Amino acid sequence: MGLSAGTTAMSAISRPKALADLMVLDTPAEQAFDDLVFVAAKACGVPIALITLLDVDRQWFKARYGLDVQETEIEHSVCRIEIDRAEMLEIADLTADGRTDCNPLVTGARHFRSYAGAPLVLRSGAVVGRLCVIDTAPRPEGLSELERSMLRALARLASENLELRRIAKVSERQTELQVALVEIGEIIRNSGDAGQMALATAAVVGRVLTADRAGLGLVDDAVEVLDVERDWTAPGVLSVAGRHALDEYHGLQAPLSSGDPLVVFDSLADERTLPNLALALRNGVRALVDVPVRDPGRTTALFFVHSTRPRYWLAEEIAFLRSVADRLEAGVARHRSEEQQRIVNGEIAHRLKNTLTMVQAIASQTLRSATDRESVYAFERRLMALSGAHDALLHNSWARADLASIATNAIEAIGFMDRVSMNGPPVALGAQAALSFSLIVHELLTNACKYGALKGDSGEVSLTWEIKSDGDEAGLMIKWRERGGPLVIPPARRGFGSKLISIGLVGTGGVDTRYDPEGFEADLRAPIRHLAKG
Amino acid sequence: MIIRPIILVVEDEPIVRLFASDIIEEAGFEVLQAADATDAISTLEERSDVRVVFTDVDMPGGMDGIMLAICIRERWPDIQVIITSGRPWPQETKLPKNMVFFPKPYRQDRVLETVRKMAA
Repeated sequence: MGLSAGTTAMSAISRPKALADLMVLDTPAEQAFDDLVFVAAKACGVPIALITLLDVDRQWFKARYGLDVQETEIEHSVCRIEIDRAEMLEIADLTADGRTDCNPLVTGARHFRSYAGAPLVLRSGAVVGRLCVIDTAPRPEGLSELERSMLRALARLASENLELRRIAKVSERQTELQVALVEIGEIIRNSGDAGQMALATAAVVGRVLTADRAGLGLVDDAVEVLDVERDWTAPGVLSVAGRHALDEYHGLQAPLSSGDPLVVFDSLADERTLPNLALALRNGVRALVDVPVRDPGRTTALFFVHSTRPRYWLAEEIAFLRSVADRLEAGVARHRSEEQQRIVNGEIAHRLKNTLTMVQAIASQTLRSATDRESVYAFERRLMALSGAHDALLHNSWARADLASIATNAIEAIGFMDRVSMNGPPVALGAQAALSFSLIVHELLTNACKYGALKGDSGEVSLTWEIKSDGDEAGLMIKWRERGGPLVIPPARRGFGSKLISIGLVGTGGVDTRYDPEGFEADLRAPIRHLAKG
Repeated sequence: MIIRPIILVVEDEPIVRLFASDIIEEAGFEVLQAADATDAISTLEERSDVRVVFTDVDMPGGMDGIMLAICIRERWPDIQVIITSGRPWPQETKLPKNMVFFPKPYRQDRVLETVRKMAA
């Protein structure tokens, strides 16, 4: 219409985007805009005033005065005429203008006769619609200069209001996304396995973006397949879980190699999705964001969000998705390395056990001629106590072991769980203290079986511990109390077992033993800070 | 002459195999030895008088002690099986019926007690 095709094409692309970015289409009426059309109508002395936004296939009114419809087909729009000139459009007699004389709004009952519209121009330069005034009677003289400048001023106010409204909405949105990101952070920290973590994250993303499908797919080393273990879907939307050959998705290859997200507002109108359109539509994908997850230099996974309807993605939403993908990648990597650590730990434990078995075999061969089989068995049981302590340490990657489980392992090996009562708070022992404590419990228990409370059928042992503050130093105090056994007689000589006990938890003593006639007693003390040693 | 029950010890580590064989022999049994599962199966195919198989889990040759135990249960249901390993028994796997598992290192008195009970 008198304009170069180039200008029209450029604006036509930018207007839908600019409009979507305003997040205003199909929102309820707002006083600020209603006031503007009211003032415009009164200022120009006309019965109708509208804030018209020009969508792809319709014009939609953010505010209307004197008109009872919310939108019309784009073909019936007067506002769109010469819209890309971004100038005031005045048509004094719509029935006499070739561009409007067949318009049903003019020929029909609405009886539009004269029109003036000022463009709504955003700061970016995008023209999204007009503030227009319409008279149902012809107005051959058009607007006065004053009316024209008032209409322009009101249009500027309307544009400004649209922008401010957007900023408020974006900030609201950012808060929502921020809250979602915190929620996702919690999920990633607390998830027990990587698949569950990706699924729960996808569910939050799907909800906050009101999407229809979201999930994480892993890309293989050769970048040939995408494996989606599980994806989140809105009710009634099919899953795309499974293996996908990447060469079927032409549009994906660029983002996979560059690391930039692929953002599609409408797959029907996007040249990057056109080659895979059938596939996209079969999966119900009209709009999508694919965020590649990069390990330096290589794409290892893809976080995807799908919508079954065309939709606009805010820059803030894309940034949010990048952040989600990064966090998810870090979480998945953590799980992977923990899994590897677990395997390595299991392997070390296995070798250690085999080595202990070798030691046992060698010792047994060496002591073959020993007439005292009991000493061979005693050695074997000490080895067993050591092995039990390693089991408890293995649970926490050899970093620390729980005091109660060390004691349990040592006691179970001999088999007196029913006659030993245990009570105390959780206490973490480092590797050295754990191994010492295990051997000490073993010796105490062995002595109790041979000479003490466990010799007969009725005696019992109580094993209790507590953390005590002694001055400024917190210390662990372990009490071994035997009751109900035969009368206690102090031994004439100290055996290896007693020596082992006297070394204490951290190799520096802190052990008191008492041969009370009622029952043997032992106190083990150690400063807390020494217990953590590896 | 007293006929002693026959126990087959399957273990790839020679020192540990010697140790296990020794303690079982000293307890009054006749011991046969195998260094892996395949070796153990050929022995079982050759003779029908083995009462108990005492086997390690991790062994070279593609067939481990658990597979050997399952194979014995199918082909020679009368033979008793004792399994031992430096790894804990896999949590997701149930120990087959009538089998006993000892984590390594094991107490010889407890292993012998089980062998005696099984061979009786």
